[in-house]
Formats: sequence, structure tokens, C-alpha cells
Amino acid sequence: MEAATHAEHHHGPPTANVSSRVEAQFLGMLLFIISEVMLFGAFFTAYFFIRVVADSGWFPIEGVDLPKAIAGVNTAILVSSSFTMHWALEGARNENRNALKVGLLTTALLGLTFLTIQVNEYVHIGFAPHDNAQGTIFYGLTGLHGAHVFVGLTLLTFATVRAFRGHFTAKEHRGVEVPGIYWHFVDVMWIVVYSSVYLL
Amino acid sequence: MLNPLRSEQEAFRFLLYVIVVAAVVLGVVFAVRAIT
Repeated sequence: MEAATHAEHHHGPPTANVSSRVEAQFLGMLLFIISEVMLFGAFFTAYFFIRVVADSGWFPIEGVDLPKAIAGVNTAILVSSSFTMHWALEGARNENRNALKVGLLTTALLGLTFLTIQVNEYVHIGFAPHDNAQGTIFYGLTGLHGAHVFVGLTLLTFATVRAFRGHFTAKEHRGVEVPGIYWHFVDVMWIVVYSSVYLL
Repeated sequence: MLNPLRSEQEAFRFLLYVIVVAAVVLGVVFAVRAIT
């Protein structure tokens, strides 16, 4: 009798133990981003090493210069996408579903535009990763970042589809907030990559 | 204290700080290069 009563009140698996003050979703993204910072750190170490020791210096090398202006426009596009991401989340917080949907869709489209321009840059840039150490680390750093934009776009696609299906409320919008944190991280990394690789 | 991993709002604010810091650093470097 007692066992039957007990079974009535405990359906499914037992509640997970919570040992941190941080929510599991945020803790997961926190640990992931910390590991990402270390990964980018390794690539930046290689970049600065090559920059210091290369006899031929950084770009331009053998008449090849980096397309700073196009990359600058691309930077503006990516920074804009962080603003639209923030706008989308403000929409979710204020129960403004149109702002949420349009904001997420615009962010995804701006991210896609960024990637398209970067691929176009690779096609026309005039050197390959195996040409020299500068080329290797240029493609390595920008390609690593591009891969992160692709991952961010995947997360944004999920969030956008969910938003159009009526998910997310003012109280429950972690499915937008966690990809938003990741998207801003990707943007911060691009500012550092663009400043150090293209401009300095 | 600003913790960019705690919420999207703080991550966005951190991004704005990074943009400002990058602009200042680039400005200083270009100014020094122009002078020397």
C-alpha cells in the first residue's frame, strides 16, 4: 500500500542533483566558451610567433595584400548581427514576438552573408594555406572563426524555427539566450582576429 | 562585476567594451606608426 502511494507521486527518473548555483545550460555554455578561448589562444600564439620570426614579415608578401576594406564591411555585418540578436532577445523578454522572430531571422541572414563573403574572399585572395606560414595561419585563424560562425548559425536556425513555432516566453527564453551568448562570443573573437590579422 | 557568460545582456555589453577597446588600441598603434 505504501509502495503504491510512493509510486503515484514519483513518475519518471529521479530529479537531477543540482550542485552549482549556475543553471546547467549556462554552465555548459560557460565551460564550452572557456575551452574555445583556449583553442583560439593556441591559434593566436602560432600567429604571433609567425609574425615575429618570419623574415618576409606579415602581409603584404610577394605583392599579395589582405582585402582590409572587404573584411571591414564583413566586420560591420557581423557586429550588426549582434545588435539584431540583442534586439531579438529584448523582444522575447518583452513578449514582442515580431521583434523576436524578425531579430533572429535577420541575425541568421547577416551571419550567412558574413560566411558567404568570407568564402568569396578565400576564392579571390590569391594565396593558399600551403604557400607559406602566413597563409597557413591566415586560413587557420579565419577558418577557425568561420567554423564557429557556422556553429552559431546552426544554433540560430534552431532558435529561429522554434520562435516561428511559437516557443519562448518572457520568462522562458533560454533557447535564445544561450545561443545569443555564443553569438556575441563569436563576434568578440572576430574583432580580435580582424584587428590583429588584417589591420595591425 | 561584468560577467559576459552570465546573461546575453552582459555578453552584449562586453562586446561593446571590446569594440571600444579595439578602436582605442588601433587608434594608438596607427598614430604611433604615423609619427615614427
